[in-house]
Amino acid sequence: MPVINLWAKEGYLSTPDGNSIYFWGFAKEETGPALLPGPHIIAKQGETVTVNLFNTLSEPVSVFFPGQTAVMVEERPVQPQYINGRLKSFVNHAEPGGTVSYTFTPTHPGTFVYESGSSPHKQVPMGLYGALVVRPADYNPDVREYRTAYGAGTDTEFEREYLLITGEIDPQLHQAVEEGRPYLVNRYLPRYWTLNGRCAVDTMMMDDVDYLPHQPYGSMVMGQPGEKILMRYIGAGVDNHPLHPHGAHTRVIGKDGRLLRNGGTDLSYQRFTVLVGAGQTYDLIYRWEGLGFTPDNPIPTTLPNLRNMGIGDAGWTMWSGSPYFGVKGDIPVGVISYNEFGEYYFMLHSHEELQITNWGEFPGGMMTWIAIYPSLSPDIGVLK
Amino acid sequence: MATVRKRFGATDGWVVMPDSTRHYIFGFVDITGVPEDRIFEYRGRATLLAPLLQVYEGDEVYLTLTNLGFPNRPDLDDTHTIHWHGFPNQIPIWDGVPEASISVPVGRDFTYYYRPLDPGTYIYHCHFEPVEHIQMGMVGPLTVRPRLEIDLGGKFAYNDESTAFDREALVFLTELDAEPHYLLENVQEFDWTEYSPEYWLINGRSYPDTVRPAADPSLPMQPYSSLIEAYEGEKVLLRFVNLGYQQHSIQVLGISLKVVGLDARQLRGYNGEDLSRWRNAIFIAAGQTVDAIFTAPSAGIYPLYNRNWHKNTNAGKSFGGMITEIRVLPAP
Repeated sequence: MPVINLWAKEGYLSTPDGNSIYFWGFAKEETGPALLPGPHIIAKQGETVTVNLFNTLSEPVSVFFPGQTAVMVEERPVQPQYINGRLKSFVNHAEPGGTVSYTFTPTHPGTFVYESGSSPHKQVPMGLYGALVVRPADYNPDVREYRTAYGAGTDTEFEREYLLITGEIDPQLHQAVEEGRPYLVNRYLPRYWTLNGRCAVDTMMMDDVDYLPHQPYGSMVMGQPGEKILMRYIGAGVDNHPLHPHGAHTRVIGKDGRLLRNGGTDLSYQRFTVLVGAGQTYDLIYRWEGLGFTPDNPIPTTLPNLRNMGIGDAGWTMWSGSPYFGVKGDIPVGVISYNEFGEYYFMLHSHEELQITNWGEFPGGMMTWIAIYPSLSPDIGVLK
Repeated sequence: MATVRKRFGATDGWVVMPDSTRHYIFGFVDITGVPEDRIFEYRGRATLLAPLLQVYEGDEVYLTLTNLGFPNRPDLDDTHTIHWHGFPNQIPIWDGVPEASISVPVGRDFTYYYRPLDPGTYIYHCHFEPVEHIQMGMVGPLTVRPRLEIDLGGKFAYNDESTAFDREALVFLTELDAEPHYLLENVQEFDWTEYSPEYWLINGRSYPDTVRPAADPSLPMQPYSSLIEAYEGEKVLLRFVNLGYQQHSIQVLGISLKVVGLDARQLRGYNGEDLSRWRNAIFIAAGQTVDAIFTAPSAGIYPLYNRNWHKNTNAGKSFGGMITEIRVLPAP
């Protein structure tokens, strides 16, 4: 039976424009850093999960699990908590310095969020949220037909999978919490937008880079042509975000942890923009196959002299210098190319365009890439 | 299938709102077929919306972007691109994302190639510093017509006879925050997290300009009308596009809309099930498109408006903003 320990703690997250922002997050261990988002909880359908919450913050904290039923504390269903007759938490909480232990058994596979149910208007934007992924009971990553989001026979097989959790940050409200001033939620005005707790361009960095100790999860989506890439979107903030991947439509196969199927009727659909509402989750398959252009089947236009074109205006590019997949070309002197061996990069971003800034400066915010590689280790795109 | 050759210039210009305010924009202008020695006459003549790009499924589309520069901001030498929003299996060289391919400096050309394989309602826009360039007006409509129209004659939204219609209209939604337009005109920076529009536009105009005719001489840079006219009993396809930075909820008073397509995909299940649905409000997020068909009821005026009521204003004054009219005429 999996046991997950979450330590509610304070910490400082980093933004690419050099800001350092006080936040609250869940740590994996007592001495570990608070994380944004909290550690991924990977559970299995039918297997009981215990989540122990240790609260080191100065006010009651709880964890609730939207989409899960029969969540128990001390063998009784979780209950709202009142202090002096006023609602304090949607579920049983841990007092400052205290603990609480939740137990539940996921009855169906899917993508879910977990988040604080105590003053959630403040504690969730402060960072007390994370992802819960429930594997189907027959899940077996080593066998193709059992490596699925929703179980064998549901047409939800995938080669690789990624979590993309949206959030927003109003640094002035965070600072108010840090300084013990009132949290004036009516003045909420986000300046940063996050995927997996990071703003672009940090979203492009690998997992567990040591200069982002509180933000361990990258958001680069990587795969090969034709592969089914499962993307699990979670709306963990308080706003809705229209996520738009370039290069292909996504096929929405699950929503709110439920397979899009009624009996024998497949209700999945394709979209080029998916509005991820607050608290919603989406499971999507992204598949890019390409149009078959190669040096032997060349593109039907003539590229101008690249010295006459804009390349790497930001000082860097993700481009290979060639229109062809797996081919490296020339990049102008002075431009850094992060292209490794001719892979293709497709932007994935919020189409509320102001959200792809860091406090107004593009590029930033809720933006990352889908990178399609000629070949890629099977270890990439594995949820841990 | 046909070969389509188009040439769009990127430049700047001006738009006016019904309260007589004038706003600086960036945008595109159609210079297809203009002799090389005359293209600079189109500097400063960007339109909002950008020219309609309309092609058939299977066409070969060569779209040349020429950066004409900004005569009102000669210091601003931004590059530009064209991003065909929603084009499946695109390769980066024609995807218009400058961080992953090429952008076009002032005085240069670049030719994009598309072979649209799927019909539907799409969008194109500049993807260079998209926060700024999209709000400044580098946005355009793009429709891919289905092969069925060639095979059968008549008009269809998708390759399915159930999507037949008699007339079509574009309902292209954007917002305008006057402050960044003013600041960019005056070589100043804007903090985009302060974005707070006070004009809400359909096809680049705010009500009551929306119901003026197309190519109205008082609106030289805003050539699109959104006055929708039909005879009783005709089927009308509305192609909704949201290229603003807000979510919108559009209603038509007295008319229900049947949504037949979303994001350039017909609403069909994997086994062909009819998943089209009736709606009284078209809720549409930034970057989405919706295709909806209605049958024109008895003669009269049917207002189309934004149910986010504050968006039916011009700088706070009612009525304005995202309102237009569907005028149904008696059958001839």
